[in-house]
Amino acid sequence: MKRREMLRASVIAGAAAALGPALSNAQSGAQSSGQPSELTPAQSGVDASKDLAAPGWKPLFLDEHQNQTLIVLSDLIIPATDTPGAKEALVNRYIDLVLAAETPETQRAFLNSLGYLDGESMRRFKSAFRYLAREDQDVLLHALAYPRTGSGWAGDTNAVADPGHGHFEALKGRIMTAFYSSQIGEKELGWDGAFAHGPYQGCEHPEGEHK
Amino acid sequence: MSGTKTTSMAGMTNIGGISKTAQDPLQTTYDVVVVGSGATGGWAAKQCAEAGLKVALLEAGRAVSPKEFTEHMPAYKLKYRDHSPEVVRTRPVQKQCYACMEYNYEWFVNDLENPYSTPPGKPFTWQRLRVLGGRSLVWGRQSYRMSDNDFKAASHDGYGDDWPIGYADVAPYYDIVEQYVGISGAAERNEMLPDGQFLPPMKMSCGEIQLRERVKAKFGHTVTIGRAAVLTQAHNGRLPCHYCGPCERGCMTFSYFSSPFTTVKDAIASGNCTLFTNAVVSHVDMDTETNKTRGVTYVDRLTRQVKEVRGKAVILCAQALESTRILLNSSTREYPNGLANSSGALGHYLMDHVVGAGASGRLPDFKALPNANQPARPNGIYIPRFRNTPSSKKHSQFIRGYGYQGGGGAQFNFSAEGYGASLKKAVKEGEYEIGLGAFGESLARWDNYIEIDRDLKDAWGIPALHINMTHGDNEAALMEDAGAMGAEMLEAAGAKDIRMHARVEMPGMAIHELGTARMGNDPKKSVLNAFNQAHDVKNLFVMDGASFVSSACQNPTLSMMAITVRACTNLIDRFRKNEI
Repeated sequence: MKRREMLRASVIAGAAAALGPALSNAQSGAQSSGQPSELTPAQSGVDASKDLAAPGWKPLFLDEHQNQTLIVLSDLIIPATDTPGAKEALVNRYIDLVLAAETPETQRAFLNSLGYLDGESMRRFKSAFRYLAREDQDVLLHALAYPRTGSGWAGDTNAVADPGHGHFEALKGRIMTAFYSSQIGEKELGWDGAFAHGPYQGCEHPEGEHK
Repeated sequence: MSGTKTTSMAGMTNIGGISKTAQDPLQTTYDVVVVGSGATGGWAAKQCAEAGLKVALLEAGRAVSPKEFTEHMPAYKLKYRDHSPEVVRTRPVQKQCYACMEYNYEWFVNDLENPYSTPPGKPFTWQRLRVLGGRSLVWGRQSYRMSDNDFKAASHDGYGDDWPIGYADVAPYYDIVEQYVGISGAAERNEMLPDGQFLPPMKMSCGEIQLRERVKAKFGHTVTIGRAAVLTQAHNGRLPCHYCGPCERGCMTFSYFSSPFTTVKDAIASGNCTLFTNAVVSHVDMDTETNKTRGVTYVDRLTRQVKEVRGKAVILCAQALESTRILLNSSTREYPNGLANSSGALGHYLMDHVVGAGASGRLPDFKALPNANQPARPNGIYIPRFRNTPSSKKHSQFIRGYGYQGGGGAQFNFSAEGYGASLKKAVKEGEYEIGLGAFGESLARWDNYIEIDRDLKDAWGIPALHINMTHGDNEAALMEDAGAMGAEMLEAAGAKDIRMHARVEMPGMAIHELGTARMGNDPKKSVLNAFNQAHDVKNLFVMDGASFVSSACQNPTLSMMAITVRACTNLIDRFRKNEI
């Protein structure tokens, strides 16, 4: 570990020396005025990481019930364990932001999937998903979480058309993307926040024993 | 004069269209006008300026500054975390490129301002940048020599034409380019992939070494570390790679090769090069009495003013399709079908490597345990062409061949099934994955061509291109074989859950556009001679990928740069002999 830290420090010091003032400007996001910017917000140094946590946040696209349903669902898909989960990472707010900028078809597809969850919930438990008891939510999600096949009794184990699993995967995909691209998600994966970790070492095993 | 002034960048604070000297840059007659500042244009400017020639370097886009690099910005700082609707709205074509992101999309052309057309059912994706350095800012950095088997491919199988030059002609210039650029790689003594002047290679992962050993044992094929224009040690004043990963967002240590911070910087430092940014070249100007070019006309990107730059010679390095577009838009009474097109070959023989085939799988022999704090190697592995080589028998289904890029290592398992705490755990436990993707040779065909679309103009009023290209049966057969062979090699390496793909992606996807102003010894069949000089106009040169006669299957940028340096050496010699 010490060797790595040393290497990292030397890379950063070397880079800073090579760039000098240019680097310090980049870090402060300073930008000259005048001509319309032809930089992306990121290239201008804009940091949007705190936007979603702003007090008084309101959804741009989802209604209140949809938003609350998404919060409940995301908390089931990626719960807080010994580390924070999707609810703490505000995945509903990020998904709402992205959906607000999406095409009507994509927006509709998302609402269809969310609506399917409530539809199944009403059919089986006579209540919207977010009001169900936790064990009923689990019963419902387990029925959707895995692909369906034939039973095998008559030799048929082929996949069976299952819209429920498709809707589940669509919602889960959005939640996974939102969570693991958040700062909390990066921490969940163990990222220490540094951008350089020394040279790539590759396989360090003796010849023929690289496992 | 706005629009020709550049913003400051490292080591280049005093440059710009308006030089500090009293002389008006637009009243000057330069020795050489270079159009384009990317991989080849940077070299042309450097070689000519350092030889003492007065150079005007024209770039259609703005200058670029290290201040705008974003390689160390985590995705959560982006408003849309790389799902920006602005990219979708303004770059519907460009976003098909993996490197066009919410971080850097302003480097890519705005598709609304830069249209082109294609015939119904024949899509072509044209991915490009207009900014100082062009695509060298975001390129994949893979750097491979072509072999004599590639330059003389037609002699081997009877298809198409040989190049007017062979490997021995280009080899010394590969040396020059590699020694300057800094290519990390390993020598392999492979008949299809000549070795070069390498910096120490990057390391291979355990899974990649297992693939290398087993593929060699079972098939005799070579698996090597990618040869990359990324420094593994300090080189020519640039620092080694710090393994942060996303080179396409810029590099604060300038460890990957990009022209603004190397060749273009050198050209400016020589005192002999004047840089014109925001200069969108519309056409080459001809002096009909002497049958020589007298420079180029450009439209100022910001003010839309039309201006001329005078030169004793013009070198087009604008990117294969752009250089040919300029020539097609330079028609005169003497050259009604495009300048330097007495052969009729201008615009024809468009090529782009065929992609879409490969395989991937899991290597259960190895512990996964992905680590977010691991150095990110900006490079992969490479398998040089093994089909239809001098030492292998001719394949019954196709001519030429393909090479693979790929890689293996522990990955977070974002496709883990289920939900809840177990899902969270499975993501972190990861999978050890390995994959290969093929790049196949694209045959030079007359019926793959570009022409001017008379009904379509870009935002500067310059007639746009109609691009007509399809991959053919040979390319499809290459991909079919590459998918199956990829799966077979992964299987030999011990991979499980192997998934094979053998699609033919639309042309343009490899971003290796080549041809349309081919070299050749016969002026009736080619546009340029063996030194990239137009057969028809002696002081006009095309020194980018447009000059390629065949595509081989290696990533072409290294060869393009070497051919440029060779052509410039000849051009400088002609200047010294007063032949220009």
